Amino acid sequence: MVKKLHLFMLTAALLMAGMRLTAQPVTVGGKYHTNTEVQQILSQLQQANPSVVKLHTITNSPGGEPVTILEIGANLKGVPAVFTGANFEGNNPLSTEGALYLAKMLLDSAKYRENLKWYILPNPNPDAAKGYFAKVRYGRTVNDFQLNNDADEAINEDGFDDLNGDGFITKMRVKDPEGTLVVSKNDPRILVKADPAKGEKGEYKIYDEGIDNDNDKQYNEDGEGGINPGIGFPHLFPHDNKEAGLWAGQTPEVFKLMEFMYAHPEIAMVFTIGNSDFCVAAPKGGRKGGASMQNIKVPARYARMLNIDPEQSFSMDELIEIVKQNMPAGMEITPSQIAGMLGLGAAVNPLDDDLKFYTKLAGDYKKYLESKKYGTDRLEAPGDKDGSFELWAYYHLGVPSFSMNLFTVPKVKEEKKADSAVSLDDVEKMSADEFVALGEEKIDAFLKANNAPDRFTANGIIEMMKSGRVTPKQMAGMMKNAPKKEKEGELGERDKALLAYSDKEWEGKGFVPWQKYNHPTLGEVEIGGYIPYLESTPKPERIDSLLGTQLPWLLHLSTQLPKISIADKKLTALGGGVYKLELYVENTGYLSYPIAMGQRNSQPAPVVIVLEGDIKILEGIKRTPLGAIGGNQVKKLTWIIQTDKNPEIKAIIESAVFGTSEKQIKIAG
Amino acid sequence: MKKILSLGILLTLFFAAFSATKAKIEVPLRFDRYYNYDEVNEALKALNKAFPALTKLEVIGKSDEGRDIYALTINNPKTGEPLSKPGVYVDGNIHGNEIQAGEVCLYYANMLLTKYGENDKVTKAVDRNAHYIIPVVNVDGRYHFFADAHTPSSSRSIRIPKDDDNDGLLDEDAPDDLDGDGSITQMRIKDPNGDYKADPEDPRILVRVKPGEKGEYTLLGSEGIDNDNDGKLNEDAEGYLDPNRNFGHNWMPPYVQSGAGNYPFSGTGIKAVNEFIMNRPNIIIAFSFHNNGGMWLRVPSEKSVRMEPADIAAYDVIGKDAERMTPGYVYQPSYDLYPTYGDSDSQLFFNFGIYSFVGELFQRETETFKGKNEKPVQPQAQQPTEGRRGANPEETREQLKFSDYLTQGEMYTEWKPFNHPVYGEVEIGGWVKMSSRLPQPFMLNELVHRNASVVFFAAENTPDISMEVFDVKEIGKNLTQVRVRLKNKNGLSSMTADAFKRKLYTPDILKVTGGKVVAGGKIQDFRLNKVNYKESKPEIQFLAVPGFGVVEYQFLVEGKGEITIDYQSAKANDIKTTVKL
Repeated sequence: MVKKLHLFMLTAALLMAGMRLTAQPVTVGGKYHTNTEVQQILSQLQQANPSVVKLHTITNSPGGEPVTILEIGANLKGVPAVFTGANFEGNNPLSTEGALYLAKMLLDSAKYRENLKWYILPNPNPDAAKGYFAKVRYGRTVNDFQLNNDADEAINEDGFDDLNGDGFITKMRVKDPEGTLVVSKNDPRILVKADPAKGEKGEYKIYDEGIDNDNDKQYNEDGEGGINPGIGFPHLFPHDNKEAGLWAGQTPEVFKLMEFMYAHPEIAMVFTIGNSDFCVAAPKGGRKGGASMQNIKVPARYARMLNIDPEQSFSMDELIEIVKQNMPAGMEITPSQIAGMLGLGAAVNPLDDDLKFYTKLAGDYKKYLESKKYGTDRLEAPGDKDGSFELWAYYHLGVPSFSMNLFTVPKVKEEKKADSAVSLDDVEKMSADEFVALGEEKIDAFLKANNAPDRFTANGIIEMMKSGRVTPKQMAGMMKNAPKKEKEGELGERDKALLAYSDKEWEGKGFVPWQKYNHPTLGEVEIGGYIPYLESTPKPERIDSLLGTQLPWLLHLSTQLPKISIADKKLTALGGGVYKLELYVENTGYLSYPIAMGQRNSQPAPVVIVLEGDIKILEGIKRTPLGAIGGNQVKKLTWIIQTDKNPEIKAIIESAVFGTSEKQIKIAG
Repeated sequence: MKKILSLGILLTLFFAAFSATKAKIEVPLRFDRYYNYDEVNEALKALNKAFPALTKLEVIGKSDEGRDIYALTINNPKTGEPLSKPGVYVDGNIHGNEIQAGEVCLYYANMLLTKYGENDKVTKAVDRNAHYIIPVVNVDGRYHFFADAHTPSSSRSIRIPKDDDNDGLLDEDAPDDLDGDGSITQMRIKDPNGDYKADPEDPRILVRVKPGEKGEYTLLGSEGIDNDNDGKLNEDAEGYLDPNRNFGHNWMPPYVQSGAGNYPFSGTGIKAVNEFIMNRPNIIIAFSFHNNGGMWLRVPSEKSVRMEPADIAAYDVIGKDAERMTPGYVYQPSYDLYPTYGDSDSQLFFNFGIYSFVGELFQRETETFKGKNEKPVQPQAQQPTEGRRGANPEETREQLKFSDYLTQGEMYTEWKPFNHPVYGEVEIGGWVKMSSRLPQPFMLNELVHRNASVVFFAAENTPDISMEVFDVKEIGKNLTQVRVRLKNKNGLSSMTADAFKRKLYTPDILKVTGGKVVAGGKIQDFRLNKVNYKESKPEIQFLAVPGFGVVEYQFLVEGKGEITIDYQSAKANDIKTTVKL
């Protein structure tokens, strides 16, 4: 009996092995891959590079799909790491392909992984990612977590319905006495808001395609799932959005990833491939509520302790100096300590010093893309979202966080109008005087051409500039961030671009033409509209060239990491066996360590200089935190030591990020 | 050297055994003593063993150091499953040093169980409610508070090591019990240029010298040496991760609020406790006990948060009488003490819809040494006096007398010389760890009884809903008008107004089955026949029954026969009735 069982098992094992051998290998590129295929690719990469690649399955999604991180450089110890996550919202399949492509590039050539570890998470939201491969597509972003969106007596009882059976959830437009929309005069496919001021009366209401399955007079308010891990992280966590979860990290994809990130303090840079794009433009600022580091008021009780005036404002640098005077000499005071003491709260806007590197690298990226003949005149990538991974990486981990959007639809070229000679970018660089000097007419034309809000009038702006209430840079910034107003008599930029793209690359099938449908509760409706994923997901045949063009930039960004070493040493005998030891620690990388946000939150692991040897330290300590060091900068550390012998002294750089390196210092007799 | 060491171990073992036999743990439990971590578990097991039918004892998870976290559920299965009854949740000792919070929980359990069948009110509360009790949340903290030398305020953290001094090492320079008295006290050194002198009335007390006055002492801070030789003493002790800043709601990172932990629920045990609560959606009231100061705190814990007035009213029902039951306590919003993020009470209220209270146990001013006609000292603080600016020596004098006369000096280690490796000849002395923030054992009984009585009072106020079909009338065309009244006898609503407004979970349901309901809705005024009909699905109404409140609904039902009216609530008792048309 036992023997028979053994034989059976053996046969089964052989059969299974055989199956594995005959299974088609899945390859990177050329198509979009399901999570099962992604897992297969990861396993293949691991098997092909067993000493370099290690897989970490950090959790299963609520839908039971594995969430797996690929580690490249499993053989390396004591080196910094770059983490790359893709497709957190699950609705951007191209980004998952991007992550796989990045892994392949790294494994094909060892150039960017000699002294650098990579962690790559191609599919952090596999439940939502199923949405692209589903029979009916709607751009799913939520996982299979059981969520009762409408808090009624049932769960997932009223999702979308593919009424016309075309496999897409599009829109329903229905004539309604309370409708506020009319058909655009420029393209009959598009609905625009009626303007009662111009005597227009709304005709249509618009709904997502579906029926009121649970008969509660709401359409599609409680579909399948779930939580969207892409907005489930604790920076600016959107408490009021049920799809973020009740708290940050409620869903295991988020919780286990946070656990992973903190278990790997060597992660010194984070890439997020998906919807937002910090390679093109810095994370957005201008949020209210963040304390300004330039104008800090000190509460009275601290002001008394520091002998300063509570009515006056101070910059962070000034405060550091003031606090230092009240502390034992040589004690390092960090912005983080001051902000914590004064209760300045969370940072909500990127810090000024970090905007410098974001802006500089964005400029380089533009040039890089131009050199690759990649048209950058495309629709803007969606902005970063509250609760997103990329914002969390910047604000909480305090590391450079770059996101990359691999595809948006090209803009339709507009003929340059003669009167809009001044562009937003031009204005951004002007001084107030230069701007005022343009004159009312040109300013007016500039405002019109750039969709300025109605409250911006040429006269008003000139007044504000003259009185210094606003600078051209601030104004341009505001206009860039303002919602795009539809120009009179014209289609919005987005509709124009999408329709042209659909016509050109999708034979017009990117927009489902409106077709009549007899709806059970709304009566006669028309179903149509853009197909889901049109904006973010090009045809599979375009995948390889898009990835090949853009992803090498991430390799380049990884070379900007700080590189810290002891550049030089100086030993001065003071007599009687007493020496002054000076060490010059340098950062030959472009980025500072930590970046400004990392200095604010003190999260990045410290770099510590350790002195070892048969010496007595008279001034200074054995383990000295280096503190912050700028890119391409040198920092000098000084000790006074005493020794009777002529010992070898070792100066060791110790860091959870950069590992350990040492320098021998010989005290000659 | 080795011999001395093993002798020491032997002695420790002997004493450990001695203390265990000295205080045998039996039901009813005694409350003239403190239970260490193991003894708390033993006490829970004893209760479970003595009342197997009414209790369930389970390990709900492990701490960061791997200790078991126990929860005791008290429920009478003969009157229904726990989830069908309004749940009362009590925990304590989330801060490891705040140990009497654990005793309050044990006392509450002991009181419910030993008085069951003897006292009518207790019997009713055990029959009507499910009681969930986690006496020690921070099990590692409690364990170490007893096992190691500490100040009254240390061992608060959960045990996730943290590099407090940014030198790349974790928890490498904690205070040290140099004089071996089991407590971390203070160090002072004789210094003619010092800022302090001995109080003329009680030389144990140090008072600040006036400007220009000659000093006698410099205070050197907590007992310890510079373990890591960095020129700073005791700067990187255990943790620090504050478990009561590690919950999910409105969590803020450590650079905004120190001790928050790296992300919500990074504390293993805290995550387990949260899951325990989350999986019991019947919990409607919760108490988390802390020390000290004598306070009943309610949400919000941060000023910018808006509260529904109805919820404040419900809190007041408990809070205002709780103040009277615990003399000297103040009932106030938590932010009035100081703002916090990621605290347990906000998590429970805003994410689970539970009326959550924090009880700050013990006021030091109850340690009196005063004649009838002597004026009480104005209390200024509950902390040890040394080293704190503005401490009132008069207050400290009375506290020391209390220690001398009423605890035979057990609360204070007299200053004794010690040869310190860095400072040389110093003196070590001060308040021991079992002082300052917790009542002496002889006062413990009253404290645990009064505070457990507040929990009991709150349990009595959990919603108790009754249903009355107060009008059944034919109105023609084969329709019957059915009017239903739901009445809440008690002070807490069946659902917080906040949870109802934010659609946190499915509200209470009033449902008619067995007949076709053509219209149904909430009665605004039954005498004037004013009804707000629901637009769709009139047979299911969503509602909450406010504390001491009444809600009325009307259904127009077609046909004849028998209909069933169901009231279902996550947190209140369910009711079902039938009506003949």
